[in-house]
Amino acid sequence: MSVDPITVEVIGAALASIVEETGETLIRASHSTNIKERRDCSTALFNARGETLCQAEHIPIHLGSFLDLVPHIMRRYPTQDIRPGDAFIGNDAYEGGGTHLPDIVIAEPIFIDNTLVAWTVNLAHHADFVDRGHAHIYQEGLRIPPVRLYRGGELQKDVADLILLNCQVPKERLSDLRAQMAANRVGVQRFQALAAKYGTATVLSAGEALMDYAERKMRAAIAAIPDGTWRFEDVFDNEEVPEPLPLAVEVTVTGDQLALAFEGPEQRRAGVNMTYTALLATAYYVVKSVMDPSILPNAGLARPLSITAPLGSILNCTAPAAVNGRLQTCQRVADMILGALAQVVPERVMACSNSACTVAYFIGKRPPNTPGAGSTWVYLETIGGGSGARSLKDGLDGVHVHTTNTSNLPVEALEIEYPLVLMRYELVADSGGVGRYRGGMGLRRVYQATHDCRVRVDLTRQLSRSWGLFGGGPGAHGKVEGGPGVVFDGDQAVLKAGHWFALVTPGAGGYGPPDERTADAVARDLAEGVITPASAHEAYGYSP
Amino acid sequence: MTQRWRVGVDSGGTFTDVCLFDEEQGRVEVWKVPSTPDDPSRGIAQGVEEGLRRVAPDAGDKPASVVAYFGHGTTVATNALIQHRGVKTGLVTTEGFRDLLEIGRQKRPDLYDIQADKPPTLVPRDLRLEVPERVLHTGDVATALDEEAVRAAARRLKAAGVKAVAVSFLYGFVRPDHEKRALAILREELPDAFLSAGHEIAPEFREFERLSTVVLNAYLGPVMAGYIERLKQRLEALGLATAPHLTQSNGGVIGFATAAAMPVRTVLSGPSTGVVGAQAIGRAAGMPDLITFDMGGTSTDVALLQDGQCKLASEATVHGYPIKAPMLDIHTVGAGGGSIAHIDAGGLLKVGPRSCGADPGPVCYDRGNREPAVTDANVVLQTLNPEHLLGGRMPIRRELAVDAVQGLADRLGLGLMETAQGILSVVTANMARAIRVISVQRGHDPRHYTLMAFGGAGPLHAARLARELDMRCVLVPANPGILCAMGLLLTDLRADFAVTRLLPAKDSAATELAEGFAALTAQAERWFEQEGIAPADRRLSRTVDMRYHGQNYELGIAYEGATMATLLSRFAEAHRQRYGFATDEDPVEIVTLRLEANGVVRKAELKTHPEAGPDASGAIATHRDVWLAETKGFAATPIYARERLRPGHRFAGPAIVEQMDATTLVPPGMTARVDRWLNLILEAA
Repeated sequence: MSVDPITVEVIGAALASIVEETGETLIRASHSTNIKERRDCSTALFNARGETLCQAEHIPIHLGSFLDLVPHIMRRYPTQDIRPGDAFIGNDAYEGGGTHLPDIVIAEPIFIDNTLVAWTVNLAHHADFVDRGHAHIYQEGLRIPPVRLYRGGELQKDVADLILLNCQVPKERLSDLRAQMAANRVGVQRFQALAAKYGTATVLSAGEALMDYAERKMRAAIAAIPDGTWRFEDVFDNEEVPEPLPLAVEVTVTGDQLALAFEGPEQRRAGVNMTYTALLATAYYVVKSVMDPSILPNAGLARPLSITAPLGSILNCTAPAAVNGRLQTCQRVADMILGALAQVVPERVMACSNSACTVAYFIGKRPPNTPGAGSTWVYLETIGGGSGARSLKDGLDGVHVHTTNTSNLPVEALEIEYPLVLMRYELVADSGGVGRYRGGMGLRRVYQATHDCRVRVDLTRQLSRSWGLFGGGPGAHGKVEGGPGVVFDGDQAVLKAGHWFALVTPGAGGYGPPDERTADAVARDLAEGVITPASAHEAYGYSP
Repeated sequence: MTQRWRVGVDSGGTFTDVCLFDEEQGRVEVWKVPSTPDDPSRGIAQGVEEGLRRVAPDAGDKPASVVAYFGHGTTVATNALIQHRGVKTGLVTTEGFRDLLEIGRQKRPDLYDIQADKPPTLVPRDLRLEVPERVLHTGDVATALDEEAVRAAARRLKAAGVKAVAVSFLYGFVRPDHEKRALAILREELPDAFLSAGHEIAPEFREFERLSTVVLNAYLGPVMAGYIERLKQRLEALGLATAPHLTQSNGGVIGFATAAAMPVRTVLSGPSTGVVGAQAIGRAAGMPDLITFDMGGTSTDVALLQDGQCKLASEATVHGYPIKAPMLDIHTVGAGGGSIAHIDAGGLLKVGPRSCGADPGPVCYDRGNREPAVTDANVVLQTLNPEHLLGGRMPIRRELAVDAVQGLADRLGLGLMETAQGILSVVTANMARAIRVISVQRGHDPRHYTLMAFGGAGPLHAARLARELDMRCVLVPANPGILCAMGLLLTDLRADFAVTRLLPAKDSAATELAEGFAALTAQAERWFEQEGIAPADRRLSRTVDMRYHGQNYELGIAYEGATMATLLSRFAEAHRQRYGFATDEDPVEIVTLRLEANGVVRKAELKTHPEAGPDASGAIATHRDVWLAETKGFAATPIYARERLRPGHRFAGPAIVEQMDATTLVPPGMTARVDRWLNLILEAA
């Protein structure tokens, strides 16, 4: 049936309102700091074919976990066996549509008049499966193909027990899974109410129309760009790979279609590999940002896009490649697409951002005389960095970029929950690439352990640097600084009580030649300590 | 002169409304003057003087000497924030954390838009100074305050010429000693600066949001203090002999001195007065469960009142800046009667966020705008008078609106009328989404609420909005255009007190809980004394914020009449309602104790009018062809004159009710009736 454009708009607003509400429910009911404060979670609605109807504005990479989940469920379970109140849990990168194991998805079918019409889906990044190996996915945690956690509204205790026994902090996992269930319950109710109001057929047709609409907008934006092919190359480096890995992308515009052809080396025995769905989610994010940020985040936007990468490469890995740190690679891929598009739409892109999602993972035992003494605690957090300079503006300092967008944990929440003290949290002078417009600054976060624990860091750009555009300079390296007595073995260290270390995130690239930066802007940066007198002089030829 | 007039002044962007209530005779008078945005106190003084001279001409050169109570809602703090017209401000903070103000929660301002920027940081990096000191979450001092460093920082800020200084240290809310000492040193070095500290302004956890609040308070402080001082002097010059009051973001009114010290608590002063007005009218009319719908020219404020109470949010982001202060849970959408309709690249009809404002205004004003606004769509449909608006004061040209809407219609492949109606449907959908945020997202079913419509455009769109949300009842107050000023005369004094006390919800905590509330009660009593509220007129209501151990968001649970066991069962019930489950496995915690203090004052009483029977035909001024979505065609529709409607009158839609400051649409399928307070009540037939 055809639905008029106004009803389509109204139903589109209602679907967006549902995913916002389910997300808020998940955050408010959850227990782990990673969800309740850092908001490392996402919600979405899918149609019965498993296509994205609407994704909440949370974290773009989470779309990668959603994209293939419902099709996986459909392949494993005959539709007639799926009942109201069933809830499927999954996380596997190869059998569950996931992109790494800590991102646990729960999907619940929405029935109207005994027909499965849609799915409410949410993902929470569980702070678990840490202190593991990353040679292959079997080391990285429990692999969960889509299985029923609830059947007809009843918790499958045997399944829950199996999962929880494999978790390092089972109690927190259970509480967060309950919050995920609460969110889906809201999603089912709201969608059913919407269908009751407008008629199921109208809502479903509007869903199709919204996808067509996103597709039309995407095609219109691509068609406005001249035809051509643009290539960009970069390298990927971090502690897990011994030497920098070459990566490349070729972006081709043909009429209203866009092709992204990636090249990358063979997948590695390290957690840096990306599943194809992670590559798709990354590409969708960047293309939407550049073409038209207002395009609805549904499956329609992908129709004019063709995205390829060699099977078995780190950009399109196969089982059993490890994937835990795939976000570092995703960030690099996002910047490469921008680098290619800079050659044709320079005013709409930005220079290379910090190209990382810098992570610290902690694990230890609760100290004596504190709640839960002797039990395991796990904490992970991701730290922002510089965002690339733009054609008419400086980059943003100390933010999450591209495929991720989580909050920091307040110091006053961190120190109450974990035996850690935060000593400094600051922007790093001279870390933004120089240029007519300056790249965003990286962050330094200094942790002190008040009791013994272990830490693992995940960072990148220690060897390479985030590139500038059109004469702009590169951002500063990412690095780890250990205090006295702290020795990092690769990316890991044992911290004794009183030990401290600092995690420094990369700065971003500048845009345009530095000698075109105004003296006022240089003077302001100097006064604010954003750049040092030496760099003011050397890069900008400025002396007060 | 006898002090018998109660005066409410709402100063908006375009008009300053003065509402005067005669305590002796119970009558309400209204006076409107143009606002004076460069110094709103001038327009206010003029409005008050003119208004009072009309009603009490005998007061000579002291017209305000007849005033018993003066209440004021202002947008001074909000405007200073939007326009970044605060003062040069310095910050003194814990070593290692000066960049927190800029980093915030490290999220970027827009997920997809590469060009988006964060709101400007209100204190530049070179005026954010660190001092050695560190308190731990236990309250233990890890590093003592370096007082010499504070003094050096104070001198640097003085040399830089700051007018205000914010002080915020980690855990200042747990142990304020360091902040207090730093304030004392700053006071010595900068005797004229406005000083603001975390433990005074927002003594709650999450350091960034607290810091943001303190910095805003300092940044706005001298602006607000200057404004209040000028207004006070002008009012005193007019002979005002009573202490003037100002509305805070929580809907309560406070004395000018408190408002000057805590300007960050007044950023929602304007819209909160509308909520307070709606609350009083809803209560009188026997409709305490309300969703307010205050639709103006460029923006719309919505709020939910359950049992006459609007929920207080303890934190909100206002114009990009997080503020920890009690604020009515008011949600603002950037759409109103002036919002412009357009077709986007994908071919869908969109309305807003651009607005044509009052100048040039909608296309039908013929002042140069050619893009159709929501008002134009209403003029095309003739739900709005096609010849003139504002009770005849503003002639308009419908044919221009028709041309503009036709332009969109051609591109959409729809008819003219369908497109005009479509513009309204899109606006309605946006408004419905805003109302869902404050209702369904907070666990309230809008179908159980009455929609109270006010503001210039609220009554026109209310019925369709109610239908969109399956709400059965709409209330349009007698004077929808001046409800905010009216609200100031209908409210009690109110202050909110809170203290964070992390306690297990067990019997063993009962004593500490009682002691916590006793301390809050003592604070409230001191406030009552300051405001001169007699003991018999003091009201207290207490709630406890509770959560499961491990959660970071609480649910507010009523404390009155509760034992620990009843608190626990109330919490479990609230949790089940909100999240669908409750559990015995996780212990329950008490986090914050809250006390709301109300000082009952003599209020303007809403006058009732005698019953006149159901026949409203005498109020029909004329008929006009109005295009109705329900029948997809024009129909001759009766136009009722609001001032002729009397209690008991009853009529069925389709009908239009016109009055000077608003137009109400009663669509087919709804009936309208007038209650004893002259409220117009629309119900699904």
